[in-house]
Amino acid sequence: MTAVIEVQDLTKTYKDKNALDRVTLSLEPGAIYGLLGRNGAGKTTLMSILTAQNFETSGTVRVFGEHPFENARVLNRTCFVRESQKYPDDATPRHAFAAARLFFPNWDQALADELIGEFQVPLKQRIKKLSRGQLSAVGVIIGLASRAEITFFDEPYLGLDAVARQIFYDRLLEDYAEHPRTVILSSHLIDEVANLIEKVIVIDDGRIILNEDTDAVRDRAVTVIGDAAKVDAWASGRDVLHRDALGNVASVTVLGRLSAAERAELADAGLDLAPVSLQQLVIRLSQKAGTPAETEEVR
Amino acid sequence: MRRIANVVRLQMINRQTFIWTPLIILVGATLLSVFVYAMIPVDTPKYGGAANAPLWYFLAIGIGAMTYTFPFSQALSITRREFFLGTMLTAVLASAFMGVLFLLGAGIEVATHGYGVNGYVFYLDWLWEAGPFGAFVVYFTLALGLFVLGFTGATIFKTWGLTVLTISWVVVALLLIGLVFLATRLGWWGGFWEGVMTLGALGLALWGLVVIAGLMGISFLAFRRATP
Repeated sequence: MTAVIEVQDLTKTYKDKNALDRVTLSLEPGAIYGLLGRNGAGKTTLMSILTAQNFETSGTVRVFGEHPFENARVLNRTCFVRESQKYPDDATPRHAFAAARLFFPNWDQALADELIGEFQVPLKQRIKKLSRGQLSAVGVIIGLASRAEITFFDEPYLGLDAVARQIFYDRLLEDYAEHPRTVILSSHLIDEVANLIEKVIVIDDGRIILNEDTDAVRDRAVTVIGDAAKVDAWASGRDVLHRDALGNVASVTVLGRLSAAERAELADAGLDLAPVSLQQLVIRLSQKAGTPAETEEVR
Repeated sequence: MRRIANVVRLQMINRQTFIWTPLIILVGATLLSVFVYAMIPVDTPKYGGAANAPLWYFLAIGIGAMTYTFPFSQALSITRREFFLGTMLTAVLASAFMGVLFLLGAGIEVATHGYGVNGYVFYLDWLWEAGPFGAFVVYFTLALGLFVLGFTGATIFKTWGLTVLTISWVVVALLLIGLVFLATRLGWWGGFWEGVMTLGALGLALWGLVVIAGLMGISFLAFRRATP
């Protein structure tokens, strides 16, 4: 398949700081990408440049094979609502949705109406008086109902409560199944979106340090659970990412793939294998990539 | 072209901004003037400048169009050129609406003999020298000029920062002072006022439109590199 987004040696410099540092990426159509990284890693800058909201300092940017700047053919097919999106002064959600309807060729009003109900967005209240969660919901609704071929969601869950977040994830998957498109979901809460994303892009300090299928990333490590003494004995000498213990049961995540023989050996010893936390893995991989390992926390 | 027309619709989506608020300011300022006129115990016609009140609001919507509506337009995947042309077209339409209101106000004043108190806000002699068309153009130009000034200032601020904006103002002020200095030294003032009188309000407004076109050019150049 041909890539919908192709970026080569993309660099963005603010005064003396590199927000993006020689980023090279290629995104296929019809997938949900997770763009993961710490705050300030360059997620929003990257998405801004891909939608011509911001400008690259150097490098090449191709979206649908063309540069997006002042290019209605390309921009028409993309949607990027920022996490800190501004709306016209005194505008209400009703105004915002009516405006979005004017510009997105695939806009689905019925879907927008449903989502407005589910997220309980107050249509007649001024946007600047909305809560953080309601503000996020306005952006999420525009993103989903635009049905743009490339849709960016920038930390869409901010301020949303658990119920609203689940609605977003469910409706995204549901609508994506019916209308496949390219979705780029930026997040610093990795486990929160881990089950949603098919591909993982990790950006750290302006550099791409991982761009792989989520399953392939998960295969890079295993979590072994069982009797603490046995687990620790098995894990000694291995590259341990994470260890949890409760009573005499321990769970240890180690880097590396297991051979069939190793798996059999584990089963014989009465130890279980469990899915790996993408978050633990990404944190560790980021640190391995030579970034400062100051904290264990990606959040 | 359809997308540019849609930008006009986007700007007009909240009719409060371009229509109701200026209208309320204008009616309010006029009413205040009428009450004040009614208190002044003279029989000669009374003139006031209340009609300029909503024009200053155009400076504010010019700034708002850049600082709030532009970032929103980016989320709607509108190109900068489409947004700029659509926004300027909106400003032209809204300014023309103000011009029509100005004519209507003057009509009311003539018909009611200055609201029955011989007081005038719109029907000001000098502005009406060139007839209704002239008065319309003058008011239209002032509204459009303030909008474009606000938009250009906000664009320079967003694109190049506060320093460049401040320097721009200083440069403009220096140029004006320089002209005043020259005019005083070379004794041009007599000729200047004569020129102003010959040009009349309409002539000045037409020159104003030339300046506005120049400002639009500058703001478009700055706007192309603006980020939300």
